[in-house]
Amino acid sequence: MQYEVRQKPDFGIVAVRFDAPGEQLLVESSAMVARDTAMDMKTQMTGGILGAAKRKLLGGESIFQNTFTATAAGQTLWIAPGPEGDVQELICDGVTPVFMQSGAFLACAPTVQLDTKWGGAKGFFSGAGLFLLRAMGTGPLFFSCYGGIHPVDVGPNGYIVDTSHIVGWSGGLEYQVRKVGGLKSLFLSGEGLVCEFRGQGRVWVSTRNPSSLAAFLQPFRPVKNNG
Amino acid sequence: MDPQQQQLGSAAPPGGPASVYRDDSAQAPIPHEITHGPAFAMLRVDLPPGQVVIAEAGSMVARHTGVAMDVKMNAGKDPGFFGLLKAIVIAFIRKIVGGETFFVNHFSAPHGGSVWIAPTMSGQVLHRRMNGETITLSTGAFLCSAGDVDMSLKFGGFRALFAREGAFFLEVSGRGDLWFTSYGGIEAIDVNGTYIVDNGHLVGYEGALTFDIRSAGGGLMGMVASGEGLVCEFKGQGRVYIQSRNHSSLLSWLRPLVGG
Amino acid sequence: MQINLLHRPAQALAQVWLEPNESIVAESGAMVGMTTNVQMQTQSGGLMKGLKRMFGGESFFRNTFTAHNGNGELLLAHALSGDMTVLEMTPHGYFLQSSAFIASSPTVNIETKVGGFRGFFSGAGVFVLKAVSQGPGQVLVGGFGGIQELMCDGNIVIDTGHLVAWDATLTYTVGKSGAGWIASYLSGEGLVCHFKGQGRIWIQTRNPVEYGRSVGSQLPPRG
Repeated sequence: MQYEVRQKPDFGIVAVRFDAPGEQLLVESSAMVARDTAMDMKTQMTGGILGAAKRKLLGGESIFQNTFTATAAGQTLWIAPGPEGDVQELICDGVTPVFMQSGAFLACAPTVQLDTKWGGAKGFFSGAGLFLLRAMGTGPLFFSCYGGIHPVDVGPNGYIVDTSHIVGWSGGLEYQVRKVGGLKSLFLSGEGLVCEFRGQGRVWVSTRNPSSLAAFLQPFRPVKNNG
Repeated sequence: MDPQQQQLGSAAPPGGPASVYRDDSAQAPIPHEITHGPAFAMLRVDLPPGQVVIAEAGSMVARHTGVAMDVKMNAGKDPGFFGLLKAIVIAFIRKIVGGETFFVNHFSAPHGGSVWIAPTMSGQVLHRRMNGETITLSTGAFLCSAGDVDMSLKFGGFRALFAREGAFFLEVSGRGDLWFTSYGGIEAIDVNGTYIVDNGHLVGYEGALTFDIRSAGGGLMGMVASGEGLVCEFKGQGRVYIQSRNHSSLLSWLRPLVGG
Repeated sequence: MQINLLHRPAQALAQVWLEPNESIVAESGAMVGMTTNVQMQTQSGGLMKGLKRMFGGESFFRNTFTAHNGNGELLLAHALSGDMTVLEMTPHGYFLQSSAFIASSPTVNIETKVGGFRGFFSGAGVFVLKAVSQGPGQVLVGGFGGIQELMCDGNIVIDTGHLVAWDATLTYTVGKSGAGWIASYLSGEGLVCHFKGQGRIWIQTRNPVEYGRSVGSQLPPRG
């Protein structure tokens, strides 16, 4: 399977070309842009009902994912996430896990396992329904975010990131979520929770924050008629 | 009647005196520059005296004070009562379904001047010099035009009405300049056989292509479960232009974030 | 202080390098990340001034970030996608659209100039700020879309929703875009600003209010 991430960092879109029949890609539902008609598309609740329900309740990923299977060599598939922003590809090495914010998952090879990391992740992201996903396996993994993806290599001195700007990080880092600046600051400062990372690894930071966009759009929403 | 190719009516070349559009001396492309692409492209048109650029209402960013802006209804040269009525019905449907406006702005500069134009969503602006060929655009893709460019509305079929972006298409032909936009960046796919495109990602197409709008996964379960809404299946030989972002997907992504 | 603009032009991120004990004042909510030795303090200037800012139309708070015990790094971003630019302070100063302000040197004084600007921007909660300083300083602004610098020679009309900042040497009048009220409404254009004089104007290639209406109006209603 060959792939190319185009239009980075503004409108990341992945162009995939399957080399042989039977090759597969697991894709977030509603991420398909275009595909060869003859390709097989199966919608499934990955991991069975319990697995899917667990992911929905805890992982924030929608229950349904699409598995695209090539029926002939050379078939092409285009996938893109919903928000305006970057797409990052990673080759999972089977040893280092990758943790990501649940809404960031875009696609992966069937040899990469997705898991909700429940313990220690509660309340991590202040957004509704956003939790942590843990990816482990071999092969390509694609994740995305609203905004550009800026990698920060963290060392023993640590780095502090606003939680709503965290896309994901590689295993090998310790993290601690805390408020920045004390209670008065929390209320007035506009900064909410931050995460302090220490260790050796990489954190992917988004240059934009979905909550800020949601707050910006708030006054433009129609008003409910309570008459 | 072929359901896909039904023509509800045609909006004749956007209104204005015939002499401006049949002026064959204006053969060279109008001087312009597209900046800030590919993400937030903006078009600057340097209007020579006597030429007119027609743009979607609401798309002006800035203009020199010497540039005049006239609002006109997108109803055609000499509509007459029924022509006007038909245009109003079309515009009403387009407004509800496609979010397009009924009005266009005509910019002209008796002594020359520049006008800056940009679309609402982020993405590219592309220039196409029309030399008599036909290109079909999704209605949201039209930004502005100049010269003897004809536009007619094509109806995508009743099923397409459920697909906001797919209900109407704009068939553009003639000679002149056309500027169109995409939400996100544009990719071109050469089709030889059949190809499926998610409705919201379609910018336009050209060549010997026909299309059929259908649900993505086959059957009601497919449409709901797969997260894909309606898709366009293209058949034939030609080129399809897709955009890398989609209004509906943006809204689906935003909904859980805004709550309510 | 050094400001590096990364990921331009659409996903601009400001990477600010602070010398020991150097500070920068930033819009609340603009912080993306920072080294662990940068400390943040909320600047409210006393409760009354803070409340006045909250209700007096300037509904933003600013935080001061200072590097301690060595150099520090701070990453800043604004809410909408787009570019950023650094304006060097001049004796006259600048006018800014409020949501374009991201950060400034502590020597720059930011004032809300309410009089005569109400309704300047047809969007909710957007108003005009003035940035002045006695000496050198910088203002970091961000726009929705690309930022284009235009030279005004007394003859330009700009849709107010596309304004980011302009030299305070310019004079301007706000008006409707079309010949009459109906024409203005139908034309889809909002308010426009007629600039006169000599100076620079920075515009953004997308209009946040138009984007907000186009997207926001299709979201579920708020209670």
